[in-house]
Amino acid sequence: MITIPNVRLRRWLQILIPFVCVPALVAVGATVLPEKQYLLVSFGVALLAVLLFITGFEQKRVGARRLVLVAVMTALCIVGRFIPFFKPITALSVIAALYLGPESGFFVGSVAALLSNFYFGQGPWTPFQMLAWGLIGLLAGYLAEPLKRRRWLLLAYGVAAGVAFSFLMDVWTVLWYAGRFEWQYYLSALAAAVPHTVLYAVSNFVFLWFLAKPMGEKLERIKVKYGV
Amino acid sequence: MQSLAHHNPAAVAVYFAGVAGIAMFCMDPVILTLSLVGSLLYFAVGGGRGGHWFGLLLFAAMAIAGPVLSHNGVTVLFVLNHNPVTLEAVIYGVASAGMIVAVLYWFRSFTAIMTSDKLLYLFGRLSPRLALVLSMALRFVPLFGRQAKKINAAQRALGLYKDDNLIDTFRGGLRVFSVLITWGLEQGVVTADSMVARGYGAGRRTHFDIFPFGLWDGVLTLTSVALTALTLAGLRQVAFTYYPAITISHIPPLGWVGYAAYALLVLLPTLLQGKEALQWRCLRLKI
Repeated sequence: MITIPNVRLRRWLQILIPFVCVPALVAVGATVLPEKQYLLVSFGVALLAVLLFITGFEQKRVGARRLVLVAVMTALCIVGRFIPFFKPITALSVIAALYLGPESGFFVGSVAALLSNFYFGQGPWTPFQMLAWGLIGLLAGYLAEPLKRRRWLLLAYGVAAGVAFSFLMDVWTVLWYAGRFEWQYYLSALAAAVPHTVLYAVSNFVFLWFLAKPMGEKLERIKVKYGV
Repeated sequence: MQSLAHHNPAAVAVYFAGVAGIAMFCMDPVILTLSLVGSLLYFAVGGGRGGHWFGLLLFAAMAIAGPVLSHNGVTVLFVLNHNPVTLEAVIYGVASAGMIVAVLYWFRSFTAIMTSDKLLYLFGRLSPRLALVLSMALRFVPLFGRQAKKINAAQRALGLYKDDNLIDTFRGGLRVFSVLITWGLEQGVVTADSMVARGYGAGRRTHFDIFPFGLWDGVLTLTSVALTALTLAGLRQVAFTYYPAITISHIPPLGWVGYAAYALLVLLPTLLQGKEALQWRCLRLKI
C-alpha cells in the first residue's frame, strides 16, 4: 500500500521531511492553528522523524546477517526491559550504535520502544520514547570512535543520556497535561521525576560499565567470525 | 459491521486515530466527558483487561496537581500557603485528568485489539524489511526468555549462587544475560544464513495475512473519517476557555452536530460489541 519502491522518491522524502515538512509543521502550528497546538505539532514531528529513519532503513542495502543482528539486539532490549528497576534499553542501543552503525542504533532504540510497549502499554508517549531512545542511539553512533576509545567518555555519555531521556519525556508530559509549555509545570515535573532520572542514569552507568566491553567483544567476534 | 477485533487492522487504526486523536488534542468539556464515558464503556464491554487502580490514582494525582501548580483564573476559592487556589484551575485540572485517563483507556483497548500480528500487517505495507525485523524481534523475545531460564537453571545446578545476596544475584543476572547475548548472536547468524539459503533477497517479499479488506471494513473506515471530520467541523464553531474566566460561546447548530457525531463515534465499538452479543444470544436461544 504505502511501500516506496522508487529509490529517487525515497531520497527526496529523506530531504523533504527534515528540511521542509518538520519546519513547516512547526511554523503552521505556531501561527495558523488556534490556541497554539504544541501537542499536535510535537506529536507530528515525532512521528515524521521516526518515519524518516524507517525509510532510510528501507533504502540502505543491508545484508541478511546485519539485519538479523539488529533484530537480536532489539529483542535483547525488550527482554532486558523486564528486569525490575534497571532498564538496559539505552545501554544496549548505544552499544548497537557503536558496533553496528548510527542507523542501527536509532533503529534498535526506537523499535525496542515500540515493541516493548506491547507488553508495557502503548500510549501517546510511544512516538516520543521512540524518538528519544532512537536519537540517543543515533548520536552514540556518530560519536562511535571517541566513545569506543575512552571508557569514561562512554560512561559519561550513558549518564547524560539517562538525564536527557528523562528531561525530554518531561517536556512531553507538560505538553500533554497543560496543552502548552510552562516552566512552572516543567520544573515540578522534573522534580517529581528525580527518582526516575537518577535510576535511568545509574542503570545506564551500571549496564555500560558491565556490558560495554564484553558485548563489544562479542559483536566484534561475530563480525570477524562471520564477516558481517 | 462486526466488533472491532474482527475488522481489518487498517480500518481499526483509522478509527482509533480519529477517536483518540480528538480526545488527545481537544479540551472541550463535552467532548472530554463523551470520550471518558465511551472509553470506559468500551473497556468494560470487552476492549481490554486489567485493573482500574492505576487510572484512578492517575486521575486523582493529575486533578490535584492542576490547582496546586497553576494560580491563573479570577475566581479565588481559598488561599493555601499564600497561594490562591482558583475555581478555574480546579476545573482545568479535572478536565486535564479526565482527558489523560480517557486517552489511557482508549490506548488500553487499542493494545488489546491491535495484537502484534496486526501491527505487522500494517507495517508490512509500509516497509517489508521493517516488518521482517519486527517479526523476528517479536519471535526472539519468548525464545530468549526460555533460553534465559535454561541458562539460569544450568548455572544454579553448577552451584554458582549463594542465598540472599543481592550483589551475587545481580552479577548472576548479568552473567546469564551475557551468555544469552552470545547464544542469541550466534543463533541470529545461523538464522540469517538459513534465510539466505532459502532465497531471502532473491525477490520481493510477500506476507501471509488473514485480514481481507471487505465491504464492511470500508464502511467502518468511511464512517470513522466522516464522524471525525464532522466533529472537527463542529468544534471550530464552539469556543470554550478556562483562563482567565470560564466562558462558553453560543453553540450554533453545527456545534451540536459535532457533539452528536463524536458521541456516535465513541459509542460505535460498544454498540458493535453489544450487537454481536445480542446476535449470539439469539442464536443460542434458537438451539
